[in-house]
Amino acid sequence: MAFETVKVRKPLLLRLLPFLSVATFFLVWEFAVSPPGVSDWRIPSTLLTRPSDTLLLAIDKLTNVNPDGATLGTHAWVSMQEAFTGYILALLVGIPLGLLMGWFSAVRGLARPIFELVRPIPPIAWIPLTIFWFGIGLGGKVFIIWISGIVPCVINAYIGVGMTNPVHIQMARTFGASDWKIFTSICIPSALPMVFGALQIALAYCWVTLVGAELLASDQGLGFLITMGRNLGRTDIVILGMVSVGLAGAVIGCIIDRIESKLLAGIRR
Amino acid sequence: MAHCTTPRPKIQVSNFTKRYGDLTVLDNIHFDIREGELVSIVGPTGCGKTTFLNCMSKLTETTEGNIFIDGEVANPVKHNLAFVFQEPTALPWRTVRQNVAYGMEVKKFPRDELQKRLDYILNLVGLEDTADLYPNQISASMMQRIAVARAFAVNPDLLLMDEPYGQLDVKLRFYLEDELVKLWQTLKSTVLFVTHNIEEAVYVAERIIVLTPKPTKVRAEVVVDLPRPRNFLDPKFIEIRRHVTDLIRWW
Repeated sequence: MAFETVKVRKPLLLRLLPFLSVATFFLVWEFAVSPPGVSDWRIPSTLLTRPSDTLLLAIDKLTNVNPDGATLGTHAWVSMQEAFTGYILALLVGIPLGLLMGWFSAVRGLARPIFELVRPIPPIAWIPLTIFWFGIGLGGKVFIIWISGIVPCVINAYIGVGMTNPVHIQMARTFGASDWKIFTSICIPSALPMVFGALQIALAYCWVTLVGAELLASDQGLGFLITMGRNLGRTDIVILGMVSVGLAGAVIGCIIDRIESKLLAGIRR
Repeated sequence: MAHCTTPRPKIQVSNFTKRYGDLTVLDNIHFDIREGELVSIVGPTGCGKTTFLNCMSKLTETTEGNIFIDGEVANPVKHNLAFVFQEPTALPWRTVRQNVAYGMEVKKFPRDELQKRLDYILNLVGLEDTADLYPNQISASMMQRIAVARAFAVNPDLLLMDEPYGQLDVKLRFYLEDELVKLWQTLKSTVLFVTHNIEEAVYVAERIIVLTPKPTKVRAEVVVDLPRPRNFLDPKFIEIRRHVTDLIRWW
């Protein structure tokens, strides 16, 4: 054996730091807010709810449909459906489009002017038109989420191809590789770190837009839960909706991170 | 100095001229390479060696003239050209094995032949133990060995090498020069080796083509008829090295 694989473990403190920071955050939050019905020097529960109360509400909302008409699971499932459909469609269209724009000047010439025109329009500006076209059902929200997710996908994939090492392209050319072969075997793998960056950014954009879309027009979903909390003056429901959105986003982000570290083993190690 | 002539050369470089506007970089270069010959090209810094190689590999079009392989105009799709660059060109997302296979994949080698040849080449360059590692897990010299192995693997009609060991230290360079000679002798490839290191040129080449400063022409061809393995301290080696140095020295 001419080599030996050595596994280097992070120091214990570095491994504990993320847990410490989260625990500190929740502890400070817990003690900075007054319990319901108590009035003291701390933040009143009418302005902010405690993490423990939010957790109790979350447990209750697993089975209780009151006061917003659906359980937490139903809200989360509806939001997931909307967000994922829009997100996946954004990836399916945006990443190939960005990659092709990065390598083929004809595609770049055709698509870039339109993309540059559409890109600066905030996704929520599409909401009125979307309601005309699709109503307030799944289709409309998916469309808005798709619009918001496609922008980082196209930009990152496009830049990722542009960052391909020119010597790699020259090496492939000297072997007689066709433009398509260079695109598939050199440019796409080179762009993958940027593409995975796009997955994370697009995910964040999609969640943000989802909540925005549900705040305006919906009858179920985590964004709707937040709106109902506001309408009912229940900060605990608002916080529950926000925490659920945050947690779902973080879990999906972690899954993407795991996939990335497996697929890009040679590039990031 | 001796001029090498053969009735049927493998490679013919004919009237090679490259101009950028009014600037003539390569000026009517002619020379031939026999099949299985290892020719070295040396010249002063900035004489256009890289431009010359880029034109040879068809990365850049010449203004006039062409390169012929077996009498036909060279075409990277039709002919087997391979290029070893000075910079590392190992693809970071591919393992050592996959990197060495890349050229054969582009050339659409049949799967069985590809695997057979891959195993043979990896064994020949001593990369079989590290075949499943990624380039960021291996040393700089191994990265260059990947590039050399990948180039030899396609059984090239012409292998172009642009100062492949220029970024390595002396010890590694000696080691890899020996390895290059071993590969060339085993696989009988036709190699054009560009370097600014005259000692390296004398050590590896059968013939040295000396270029002039810009506009670049062939100043002389020197046949290196020394037995292998060559000895840097052999008086004849030193004499050829001194002769080539005198040819390059224009100051």
